[in-house]
Amino acid sequence: MAVDTTKNPVPFEMAQIPGPEMAKAYNTAVIGAILKKAKRPLLVVGAELFEDPVMFDKAIEIGKTGVPIAATAHSIKGFVERGYTENVTMIGLHPLTNYLRFKDWQGLDGKGQYDVVIFTGIFYKFASAMFSALKNFNRDIKRVSIDRYYHVNADMTFGNLAFNPDQYHEAVDEVIAKLKA
Amino acid sequence: MDKMEGSFAVEDMQNVQINIGAIVKEVEEWDQPMGPFPYPSIATLRDWDFKIMNRYKVFYSPICDRCTLCTYGPCDLTGNKRGACGIDQAAQQGRIVLIAVLMGCTAHAAHGRHLYHWCLDKFGDLPFKMGDEILVDAPLTRTIAGIKPKTLKDFGPVLGYVEEQVSQLLACTHTGQEGSYLDFESKALHAGMLDSLGKEVSDLIQIVAYDMPRGDEDAPLVECGMGTLDKNKAILITYGHNLAGSAEAMFYTEDNNLWDKVDIGGVCCTAIDNTRICEGIGHPDKEFNDKYRMVGAKAKIAGAIGWWRKMVRGDCMDCIMVDEQCVWTDAIVDAEKYKVPLIATNEKIMLGLPDRTNDPVDEIVDDLVNFRMPGVVVLDPVKAGEVGVKTAIAVKPKRAEIREADPFLSEEDFKKYAESCTYCHSCQFVCPPHIKIGDVVRAAAEGNYEPLSTTYEICVGCRRCEQVCPQDIPILSLYAYANRDYIRNQKFKMRAGRGPVKDTEIRRVGAPLVLGTIPGVIAIIGCGNYPNGTKECYDIAREFVDRGFIVAATGCMAMDMSLYTDAEGKTIWEQFPGGFDGRNICNIGSCVANAHLHGAGIKVATIFAGRNERANYDDIADYILSKVGACGVAWGAYSQKAASIATGFNRLGVPAVVQSHSVMYRRAFLGRTDKREDWEIIDARDGSKVYCEPAPEHMLYVAESVEECMLMMAKLCIRPSDNNSGRMIKLTHYCDISMKYFGCMPPDWPIYVRHASDLPLKWKEDMMKELESKYGWEIDWKRKAILSGPIRKSDVSFDPTNIERKIRVKK
Ligand code: SF4
Ligand code: SF4
Ligand code: SF4
Repeated sequence: MAVDTTKNPVPFEMAQIPGPEMAKAYNTAVIGAILKKAKRPLLVVGAELFEDPVMFDKAIEIGKTGVPIAATAHSIKGFVERGYTENVTMIGLHPLTNYLRFKDWQGLDGKGQYDVVIFTGIFYKFASAMFSALKNFNRDIKRVSIDRYYHVNADMTFGNLAFNPDQYHEAVDEVIAKLKA
Repeated sequence: MDKMEGSFAVEDMQNVQINIGAIVKEVEEWDQPMGPFPYPSIATLRDWDFKIMNRYKVFYSPICDRCTLCTYGPCDLTGNKRGACGIDQAAQQGRIVLIAVLMGCTAHAAHGRHLYHWCLDKFGDLPFKMGDEILVDAPLTRTIAGIKPKTLKDFGPVLGYVEEQVSQLLACTHTGQEGSYLDFESKALHAGMLDSLGKEVSDLIQIVAYDMPRGDEDAPLVECGMGTLDKNKAILITYGHNLAGSAEAMFYTEDNNLWDKVDIGGVCCTAIDNTRICEGIGHPDKEFNDKYRMVGAKAKIAGAIGWWRKMVRGDCMDCIMVDEQCVWTDAIVDAEKYKVPLIATNEKIMLGLPDRTNDPVDEIVDDLVNFRMPGVVVLDPVKAGEVGVKTAIAVKPKRAEIREADPFLSEEDFKKYAESCTYCHSCQFVCPPHIKIGDVVRAAAEGNYEPLSTTYEICVGCRRCEQVCPQDIPILSLYAYANRDYIRNQKFKMRAGRGPVKDTEIRRVGAPLVLGTIPGVIAIIGCGNYPNGTKECYDIAREFVDRGFIVAATGCMAMDMSLYTDAEGKTIWEQFPGGFDGRNICNIGSCVANAHLHGAGIKVATIFAGRNERANYDDIADYILSKVGACGVAWGAYSQKAASIATGFNRLGVPAVVQSHSVMYRRAFLGRTDKREDWEIIDARDGSKVYCEPAPEHMLYVAESVEECMLMMAKLCIRPSDNNSGRMIKLTHYCDISMKYFGCMPPDWPIYVRHASDLPLKWKEDMMKELESKYGWEIDWKRKAILSGPIRKSDVSFDPTNIERKIRVKK
């Protein structure tokens, strides 16, 4: 049975209530389908992956489907250690989001702006603020979170799974399966 | 007047000390001509601000998508929509940023205003003298106001100027005033500059009035940490930023020989300033000087702001004096609960308490000691100091009795509370550093206190967990109980705040800094609250001191980094000397003292490069931006003051890196390396335009991890003016930090290479191969030379500027 990722749509930091437009929690099939359909997706992963190293392997699985990875903070180290740097770029989350909000940016590979960004493993408050920057200043990019938190400023997110790591990992696996299908 | 560095004429240096053989000639008079912008108003430096913002794009991450400031609201601004008044989301964010920067600026300036009146009252008008080694003595005041103060009174008009400008700026935030985010940000930069000026005035007044160290690299090592407070004595805690009342408590204790009965420990910046009192070149009032010489070294540093609630629950105090800024506003609630009388000593914080300023000391003390009221307001610093000391001594035995009968938290209570946890995780939803509190409490219930110990330093003491816990578990008290031994043993040393950087130090480091052979100045500012904040302050400082940077700390970060030692048990202050030099670490002083870091930058431009600073802000800022490799870091700052501090640094051309929580400041200044045109710089020699490498790449940057912070700081110290060996050194550190913490080279290292001799020796061969194979650069392998590829050629006499009037000969 698929993990219900639509439960607990409560901002992980409770007072993060930005305004009238708040993220919707979706099930893994829908999120997987969105990623699969994306023309220029970008997976953005942060340093929290070090606290849950199995997520590096899952990120690599996503990378292997052809989704390029932006490794923020020092998370590139996790990829170097696993010998996978193929389509992984080291870049700070802050400058990355700054580039993302400009429509004329040509992407990490110079081939054009992205249409879907997928965040995971980034410190909640920081990720939330960067989603907010895109939500307010570049609405052409779809904001997807596959992190363990309900991400209030995303377009699409899971509900909170922060206290249930097994279910969370299962949910990510389901997204990956859909992406590969 | 323009000069090439190193070839300036002596007439440009008349206001500084000139060494002619053994004869030291001091030219007293300041005959520098008035520069173009004395007392700049809102629009005066707008061109400069727009230059900054043209290169460093204003980046907003709104925390709230709505505006609720007027009766048309709430307006939904999501997606950069406009509110009823016409303001769009970007401008609304700019407005909030400006308000925050003004809050910070006024906090510092109002602090200075209070000290100004109080010091003139107490000491009269004192001559403003910074000693023989600091002749460029009030660099921000000179650069912004265009005056050279001679006595304390001369700072009056400077404060008046700040106050006038602040009032103009605040007016701009009213609905129906400013409507452009760029102009809001220009105004915020103006407020940031005013903030730096207010800080300088505040600190200079107290340095002179209280005879604090003037650039003393050997300022005494003072005791720091909760464990240094002697429980055999009464403990008076002075908490905040304004030493007026606290200093009087120290003087009263000294006058009455009470140091064996009372310990005075400071929290937050008052702590730092207490320990600077009467350690300078000698107070002009001889009697005062004789009486209180070195009294500052008798005070202790209880700790930084993040420790406040932990101290209260750790039973580290008998009486509290609060003054102003960064005082948790529930201090009185805690004080009442833990039976610690509180004295509010400054009009800014009165907490609803009765004003007893005009009552006799003994009556006030009697009321406090018998808990007839939890606290009082006493606005006369002398009286407040006496009340504080007397109350602490008299209440100590009473408090002991109460505690005996009813301990704060017994072992039984501890168990009962820990066992009552239902593992609901409500606490974790609100804990800023994401401590897994449920797990921690559950472990404690099972008798395992280890998690309570390992997360104690990470906890910022915010109490949000307790606010939401459905079981009313006093989580911070559990922490205090489990960490009793830690609290008792928290004993360290911190170097007392040394004050401004000396002219002689600038002369020593000026050339290596501008050429890059000292790889940069790392300015560690603000408080160190966040994820592992306190330990990470130490790690940042240690990383850069070891690498030969100049590391300078101010404020709570200086205290926080004192809490860690090396294998030999030495704090960072004991490991390294306290000069403003490579492989040194200096504690400049409290938060207001960080104006001396701006001052140091200005002094490099004036003393080393011979630029006129007088009323010449943009010229000096331009010099610093292009030539002085410096970078600030506020690793866990919480306050609006940190917003104004960083913004003030930015206007002066100094970039800053902040911690993830600082996204709450909403605005950053970020460069785009894909926009070549953004990095066009003028060569002042002939006005030609040169496309430069992006150095520094950003102005205000949020880093996600301490590793990223260190990498970014190393990068943000790179400047166009670096010579080849300077650039080589800077690139070596940049790449080395990357290899150490990221496991690979940073992807953008090639953009900083102008010439083969810029390349780090360690990787030179491999880098040249990579430049050829991956980036298509032409390499002459015989001569080991780069023939083509770099953004620009290396040119030793390139004189970068962003200001047209600096062009000497138009091409
Ligand atoms: S100030 Fe403007 S945006 Fe704000 S509530 Fe009023 S009309 Fe709306
Ligand atoms: S007091 Fe400490 S444990 Fe509680 S929410 Fe704040 S930081 Fe977390
Ligand atoms: S909120 Fe209280 S009861 Fe719930 S997990 Fe935290 S400590 Fe336990």
